[in-house]
Amino acid sequence: MAGAIIENMSTKKLCIVGGILLIFQVIAFLVGGLIAPSPTSAVPYLSIKCVDVRKNHHKTKWLMPWGPNQCERIRDLDEAMSRQIEANDIVFAVHIPLPTKEMSPWFQFILVILQLDIAFKKNNEIKDNAEVTLDVSLAYRDDMFSEWKEMAHAIETRKLKCSFASPKTIEHEGRYYDCDVLPFMEIGTVAHKFYLLNIRLPVNERKLINVGIGEIKDVRLVGIHQNGGFTKVWFAMKTFLTPSIFIIMVWYWRRITMMTRAPVLLEKVIFALGISMTFINIPVEWFSIGFDWTWMLLFGDIRQGIFYAMLLSFWIIFCGEHMMDQNERNRFSGYWKQVGPIAVGAFCLFIFDMCERGVQLKNPFYSIWTTDVGTELAMAFIIVAGICLCLYFLFLCFMVFQVFRNISGKQSSLPAMSKARRLHYEGLIFRFKFLMLITLACAAMTIIFFIVSQVTEGHWKWGDFTIQVNSAFFTGIYGMWNLYVFALMFLYAPSHKNYGEDQSNGDLGVSSGEELQLTTTITHVDGPTEIYKLARKEAQE
Amino acid sequence: MSPQYSLRSLLLVILAAFSANASNWLYLAKLSSVGSISEEETCEKLKGLIQRQVQMCKRNLEVMDSVRRGAQLAIEECQYQFRNRRWNCSTLDTLPVFGKVVTQGTREAAFVYAISSAGVAFAVTRACSSGELEKCGCDRTVHGVSPQGFQWSGCSDNIAYGVAFSQSFVDVRERSKGASSSRALMNLHNNEAGRKAILNNMRVECKCHGVSGSCEVKTCWKAMPPFRKVGNMLKEKFDGATEVEQRKIGSTKVLVPKNSQFKPHTDEDLVYLDSSPDFCDHDLKNGVLGTSGRQCNKTSKAIDGCELMCCGRGFHTDEVEVVERCSCKFHWCCFVKCKQCHRVAEMHTCR
Repeated sequence: MAGAIIENMSTKKLCIVGGILLIFQVIAFLVGGLIAPSPTSAVPYLSIKCVDVRKNHHKTKWLMPWGPNQCERIRDLDEAMSRQIEANDIVFAVHIPLPTKEMSPWFQFILVILQLDIAFKKNNEIKDNAEVTLDVSLAYRDDMFSEWKEMAHAIETRKLKCSFASPKTIEHEGRYYDCDVLPFMEIGTVAHKFYLLNIRLPVNERKLINVGIGEIKDVRLVGIHQNGGFTKVWFAMKTFLTPSIFIIMVWYWRRITMMTRAPVLLEKVIFALGISMTFINIPVEWFSIGFDWTWMLLFGDIRQGIFYAMLLSFWIIFCGEHMMDQNERNRFSGYWKQVGPIAVGAFCLFIFDMCERGVQLKNPFYSIWTTDVGTELAMAFIIVAGICLCLYFLFLCFMVFQVFRNISGKQSSLPAMSKARRLHYEGLIFRFKFLMLITLACAAMTIIFFIVSQVTEGHWKWGDFTIQVNSAFFTGIYGMWNLYVFALMFLYAPSHKNYGEDQSNGDLGVSSGEELQLTTTITHVDGPTEIYKLARKEAQE
Repeated sequence: MSPQYSLRSLLLVILAAFSANASNWLYLAKLSSVGSISEEETCEKLKGLIQRQVQMCKRNLEVMDSVRRGAQLAIEECQYQFRNRRWNCSTLDTLPVFGKVVTQGTREAAFVYAISSAGVAFAVTRACSSGELEKCGCDRTVHGVSPQGFQWSGCSDNIAYGVAFSQSFVDVRERSKGASSSRALMNLHNNEAGRKAILNNMRVECKCHGVSGSCEVKTCWKAMPPFRKVGNMLKEKFDGATEVEQRKIGSTKVLVPKNSQFKPHTDEDLVYLDSSPDFCDHDLKNGVLGTSGRQCNKTSKAIDGCELMCCGRGFHTDEVEVVERCSCKFHWCCFVKCKQCHRVAEMHTCR
């Protein structure tokens, strides 16, 4: 792909393009920072302890924590003791959301985590490796007065990981253990307005169920959902970006097909990158507002995974195609060693995600981390993916190093070369260095913003302005990679500036021997590029 | 009915006599017989509230049960923290709830004010997250720009509402007096210190939920500390409380440490004006029950030891047969099956 637009552009024009992209970049950050609220909200819920007064609990009955038809409730579990209520009759009820609120499809997902308040008692300690068994059911309804409809029911176990900070003596009875938060539930669409959770902790001494789990004082839940405002801003952004990337993609491919030669590997990879970017961009999430599509979260993960894999492959191939050694590549199979780890890693993460979010489509209470085997399996997948990623970066760094070594080698011998050869190599070096620079800049930005958003509080106050750092991170970084792909397709598209002008090779003095070496990336039919022309002028003078 | 009536009228008289005590609303904790506070008339009947608190009660009926729960929590925690001291936070069935000790500007008063304002903030916040209250975090300070509120940007923390309610309910008496007397300043400071004990001990917990559960997306929230921890913090502050006096700096009156050698107190420290009595002798007039008849620990050299607890009056030693529960089987709730073990133990009580 000799004669990419970037080589033929004057510095001034390049600066203008860069400036425009920068403006869009700033807008992307500002949209997130100023318009959007923080990306997610966490709502703490304290469960109400209801008493299931019916003699046998055969038929499911939904116990409401508050409002009309609320259950018979007890204030604390000491009261249950004095009233001789059994543990099996106690139901922890949580209504999502809190009174006078409604859930909305704009929330995209609800993720609920569970926290148990367990008091220390000298003779009722938490046993080692204690597991708590929960009988959970989830129901929904869309107005305050209709019947609850069951959505899911499951019996789940969770491992208790608790520590006690004080010495375990009589004096410290009544203090709470520090327990890790437990994953509890995840639903991928919020199609209904009201949700109700009924949690039971059945005791069965014979089967050792819920024995040795200490004295539970409270069951607390935290519900996490995406903020409606953020969703709207996000959708708007996607809706705007989709046609932008799509148009440049069509333009790019048209330019390539207009050439008389077949497209080279690098051009195909850039096009594939554009496709995967568009695939992420297409705002299919709009459908989640109207339809109860629970697989949307999983689908989103898959789309992101494809894009990441594509981006990583692109970097490798770009380096390879600019290697400037004598090897003929231009074949995808030539990169199996480097692309292999990406494929394996992506596949591992895909399997892991299917095991977690895929199963959650059936049972929202499922979590792979709750069982020993599951944890090991999940860790195995993640570790393999991690190793693949490390391997990939080693290859990438090595390739970049090789390219730079070749560049310095070529640079010293440039003056001795024939003009066409020299211009060809200068073009290659410039293209490579330019991409290196913006890629590093983008990667650095991503990492810096990721760290900033991790360590700082969600928002910065600046006089009357509040900047939502986390939202700015998401929209800014998303916008940035879009602009990256956009710029790539625009600047690395073949230049048609002198299309149809004189195309003879002899003019440029490329001997047939040299030509052979250059075919991997150079295609002379494209005609002389700006640099060639300039050089020619100089030579004439 | 008639003895109850006479008791009530007696209470009214006492209420009038001790109207300087701003912690009278703690009497709510004793009113478990009233049942739920659900009508405006009930507010009028509640003992211990000043007029502005009655108005607040009428305006925020749904919150009043939590206020009462907060008062109960505060008293329970106070009694737990002071179980081994001469003053053991014992309550009377009359007003003022803690006797006259708390009406003076003592260390003990400082603790009671702090723990009770913390108790209200705690109980209201808890009620918020259990869905008992409708106002809470969502309507007070929604941090979004859009009027859509909850749907656009979610709610702010419930603790903000709890603390704000505690401020307006508990502090109202001192504020109404214009916050000029040294006592009012002390109470306000200690009320705030109590709430700070919750705010500064909020635990930040996070959950990662990005692609494949990575930390690309992380959501954090603040969780309230258990009330026992708040009590422990305040007890530490009680032990290191600063004696202060009022001084005029510019046009405002402020509290500064009496001993200028000490470094100035922070917002979280407790302050007091008067030194405490020794709490040794029975003195009903001041509401001090005295330590006679209290159990003490013979081996301890600390305040729970017989030496200090009994104020040098000496102690009885009785051999008693203690029936203890042993080799128990527990469930997580409501079920204990124990054997009864008998043990002979020495019990020391102050003379």
